[in-house]
Amino acid sequence: MHKYYTLTKEEWDRALIHLISQYLFYAPLGEGEQQDYDLIGEKDIPRIIYNQPKPATPLKTFFLPVAENVIAPTSHPTPRIIMGIPACDLAAMNIQDEMYLNRDYLDGPYQKRREATILIGTDCHSIQPHCHCTTYGVKPYPQENHDLSLSLSDQTIYLYTHSEKGRALIKEIEKYSAPGAPTENEIQALFDKREEIERKLNQNNQELPNYQQTGELIDQSDAEIWKRYSETCVSCGACATICPTCTCFLLLERPGFEKVRHLDACQYPGFEKVAAGEDPLRPLYKRFYNRYMCKYVWKPQKFDALACTGCGRCIEACIGKINKNELFQELANH
Amino acid sequence: MKNNNIYQPIKAKLEEVIEESPTIKTFVLKPENHFSFHTGQFVELVLEGVGEAPFTPSSSPLVRNKIDITVMRTGYLTQRLHQLKGGETLGIRGPYGRGYPLEKLYGKEVLVLGGGCGFAPLRSLLYNLQAEQERIKKVTFCYGSKSPQECIYEPYIDELRNVPKFEVMRTVDEADESWTEEVGVATVLLDKIDINIDESVAVVVGPPIMMKFSVQKLLEMGYPEHNILLSMEKNMSCGLGKCGHCMMGEYFVCKDGPVFSYDQIKDKPDIWK
Repeated sequence: MHKYYTLTKEEWDRALIHLISQYLFYAPLGEGEQQDYDLIGEKDIPRIIYNQPKPATPLKTFFLPVAENVIAPTSHPTPRIIMGIPACDLAAMNIQDEMYLNRDYLDGPYQKRREATILIGTDCHSIQPHCHCTTYGVKPYPQENHDLSLSLSDQTIYLYTHSEKGRALIKEIEKYSAPGAPTENEIQALFDKREEIERKLNQNNQELPNYQQTGELIDQSDAEIWKRYSETCVSCGACATICPTCTCFLLLERPGFEKVRHLDACQYPGFEKVAAGEDPLRPLYKRFYNRYMCKYVWKPQKFDALACTGCGRCIEACIGKINKNELFQELANH
Repeated sequence: MKNNNIYQPIKAKLEEVIEESPTIKTFVLKPENHFSFHTGQFVELVLEGVGEAPFTPSSSPLVRNKIDITVMRTGYLTQRLHQLKGGETLGIRGPYGRGYPLEKLYGKEVLVLGGGCGFAPLRSLLYNLQAEQERIKKVTFCYGSKSPQECIYEPYIDELRNVPKFEVMRTVDEADESWTEEVGVATVLLDKIDINIDESVAVVVGPPIMMKFSVQKLLEMGYPEHNILLSMEKNMSCGLGKCGHCMMGEYFVCKDGPVFSYDQIKDKPDIWK
C-alpha cells in the first residue's frame, strides 16, 4: 500500500545525515536556475534545492556514463540515492529502459546501475522558460519510474512511496525519525499546487502542437525550414548530450576484446557514414532533421515510450540559439 | 546461444585466408564455442584492439564448425583484416538480425541477383538452397562484377553450373579477351532470364547503385514489391538494435533487417545511400 508520510525539515535533514553515510547521495545543488545533481556531504544539506526545475544534466547520465567499458567495468555500482528528479527526467527513463533493458538484448552495466539506484522524484513548484512537459502528456510531478516522491512545503517534507524500494527506504528513515501522516488539507494543498503548475505550463505552451501533431507536422514538412533553422548549428551535439531521451552510442574496441560504450549522437558528422563513403546524413540540415524525425516520428512508430518529454534542455544548451519549439510553432502556423 | 554479456565476442581462429580477387578475401574462421547462423544473418567481426564491422557470412549455414567471411578492402578495418595471414585469433559477435525468409522461397522460381561483393552473403543463401533443392522450383543466379578479375568464387560458379535446377549467368562492366559471358551492368542479365515472374521471388544484394537500378528493373518487369528481397547495408556499431547508427526510418537495420522486402523500406529516407 502506497501512502504519504510527513517529516519536519529538521527531522529530514537529520535522516539525511544517516542516509549520506550509507549511500552515495545525489541531490540538486546550485543557485536559481543554475543547478545540477551533485554528490552531497553533510555540509551540503542546507544547500539542497527542493521542488525547483531542473538539474542541468539529465538523469540518464547516472546510468549511461559518457564512456564505459562494457566488457570489464572498472567499478561496481554502489548503492545510491538520487533525489530532486523532475518528472520529465523520470518519464524519459521509459525510452532508455526500452533500449537498454529490452528482452532480446539486455545491457548488463546499465541494468546493474538501475538496480543499485533509488530514485526520489520531485513535484515542480516552479517553471523554467522552456519547460513544456504537459504539451507531450507528462505531468509536472512524478508519475512513474520513481521509488519515492518528495516535496517540501512550509518546512514540512512530504514523502509518497511508489515502489518496494521506496517503502524500504521509508523504513530506514523511520529508524532516525518518526514520520507522521499528512492531514487531508495538506494533501489537498499539494494537489492544488500541482494543478496550478500544470495550468501555467499549459498556458505558457498553448501555441505548441502536441506530440502526435508535432510528428505529423515534421513528417509533412519540406527541407527549407530545416535548412533555415540549422543555419547556426555547429554540430556540437549538445542537444543530444543533454537530452534525457537520446539513446545512441558507439562501441570502441580496446585490447583484450574489450569494448567501451561511448555516448554518440546523430548530430555529429559521419554518424551514418559507411566505409565505402556513402553518408546519408552528410548535409548538416539532414542531421538536424534526423533527430526530430527520430523523436517524433520513428520512435513513436516503434515504442510506446515518449522520445521527448518536454524538458527544454536542448533549447537551453544550444549555442546556435536554435529553439525547436519556435520551429514547431512555425510549422503549426503554416 | 547468447553470452551473458551482449557485447562480448566469442573467439575464432583464423584458419585460412583465400584471395578471391585483388580487393576481396575470404577469411575462414573456426569459432572456439558453438556458433550457428541462419542464412542472411550477419556477425560483427572483431579485430582485437582495432575495431569491428558487420559482415554476412558467405559459407553454408549448414556447416557448423567453420564460418567463411568474405571481405572487400574498403576502409581502415578491412585494410587491417586484409593484412592477416592466418593463425590469428579474431572475435565474432552474433549472429544478428533477420536473414533470408527461406519459407518465402519454397516452391518458387528464385531469382538471385548479386553485384560485386554482394555475392558473399548470396553464396550462403545459394548453399542453403542447393541443400534444399527439392523445395524450390529453380534458381536463376545473375552475377555482375566490374571486371573478370573481380569475379569471385570461380570454383563455386563451376560447381553451381552443374547443379540441377540452378542456372548461372554472369556479366562484367568491362571485359577482356578471356571473357566469354555477358558484358554490361548487372541489370543487363535481367533481359536474358527465362523466369515466370508470377511464380518468382527475387533476392538482390550488391552496391547501393546496383540495388537501386535492379529494383527499378524488377518492378518494370512486374515483380510485386513484396517479392523483391534486399539485404541492406548501413553503418552499424552494436548490431543489437540499440546504438542507433543503422536506423532507416523506424527500422534498426541490424535487428529488424538486414533483409527487407522492398515494400517495407521503399518510403524510408536515403535507402540507396
